[in-house]
Amino acid sequence: MESPLHHFEVHTLIPIHIGGLDLSINNAVVAMWVGLAVIGGMFILPARKGLSLVPGKLQSVLEIAMEFIRNLVYEFIGEEEGRKYVPFIASLFLFILACNLIGLLPGSYTITSQLVVTGVFATGIFIMTMIIGFSKHGLHFFGILVPPGIPKILIPVLIPIEIISMIARPISLAVRLFANMTAGHTVLAVLFGLAMTGPLWLGWLPFGFTVVINGLEIAIAFIQAYIFTTLTCVYIGDVIKLH
Amino acid sequence: MPQFEQVSVFGSLIFWSVISFAILFFMLKKYAFPPILAALDDREKKIRGDIEASEKLKQDVGKIKIDLEEKLAAAHGKAETIVQLAQDEAKKLQEKMVQETEAKVKQVQREAEQEIQSSRNKLLQEIRSYAAALTIASTEKFLKKALDDSDKKRLVDESIEQVIQELEKNHQN
Repeated sequence: MESPLHHFEVHTLIPIHIGGLDLSINNAVVAMWVGLAVIGGMFILPARKGLSLVPGKLQSVLEIAMEFIRNLVYEFIGEEEGRKYVPFIASLFLFILACNLIGLLPGSYTITSQLVVTGVFATGIFIMTMIIGFSKHGLHFFGILVPPGIPKILIPVLIPIEIISMIARPISLAVRLFANMTAGHTVLAVLFGLAMTGPLWLGWLPFGFTVVINGLEIAIAFIQAYIFTTLTCVYIGDVIKLH
Repeated sequence: MPQFEQVSVFGSLIFWSVISFAILFFMLKKYAFPPILAALDDREKKIRGDIEASEKLKQDVGKIKIDLEEKLAAAHGKAETIVQLAQDEAKKLQEKMVQETEAKVKQVQREAEQEIQSSRNKLLQEIRSYAAALTIASTEKFLKKALDDSDKKRLVDESIEQVIQELEKNHQN
């Protein structure tokens, strides 16, 4: 029986080596591109064609998505400050959603099940929040390490805790998405393996479960994209408001 | 787990995912989001404007309704006054006509009574004059000669006949 983790293996399709770097195009990258092309096309083509005041079906979907993300940003960052972050947050949500969903197609690849990818995005967001914080508040930004209203005697204890909690943010952000995607796909692979290897009178049971788990995975794809972007909004909101 | 073992692909995964995200971000930011957000804002503005306009219309309609009701009430009051006036006028006219008619009737009655009275007086006058003439004539005849009873009767009849003839003659004249 094939390992349930086998489908997480990356296969190089077009080898590209620039300097000492391996920038080869592999199945994970291609799957990601397909997902991004679909979601990008879905958003860009109708918008380029012109939107009507009375929306059609696709336009309604796009508008609902944008309104949902915009409200999310406004809720955690605030309407005035949040306005300029809407495109970034929306792109982030759509990127993660597209990668999550395209991975559910058999033979495809979920690039968000790679910890390095989620790690890069989480780290990037962490660095971005630091830049926003320092550019907005200068050295006062260190105040984020001191929660308001605590006795001064506790400050030396609390600052290391706050630093750890700050560093834990990108780690948890990265691991959450990676773990959810990996776990879901692993469960699916295990169930498929059982269905394929078992006799027919027994194999239908795990196969039935794969159908249910697949439905669940679609929901998880949305939920994880939502959680990732919501937490990004929360972190940006935190550094803007300083508690 | 392959995610931790295939270290060689990390570079390409990171590079392409970051590049792809950047391209997606710039494409969406440039071509997709502004029109969609603008459409949302436009619709919001339009709906808000429409609601405000309809609220204003509602208020206007309310004002017009109150105005019309006031006018209607005024018109009703006016109409009632006019009807009352017309009724009063008609009553006055009726009373006047009744009074006039009564006066006329009384006048006619009075005139008729006067005429009857004058005719009666005239007739009595005539009867009186003819009775006197008759008495004079009869007395003349009695005095001229003594007459037997049949003659007396004949003479009285003649006198009466003469008086009647004179009366008829007078009437014919």
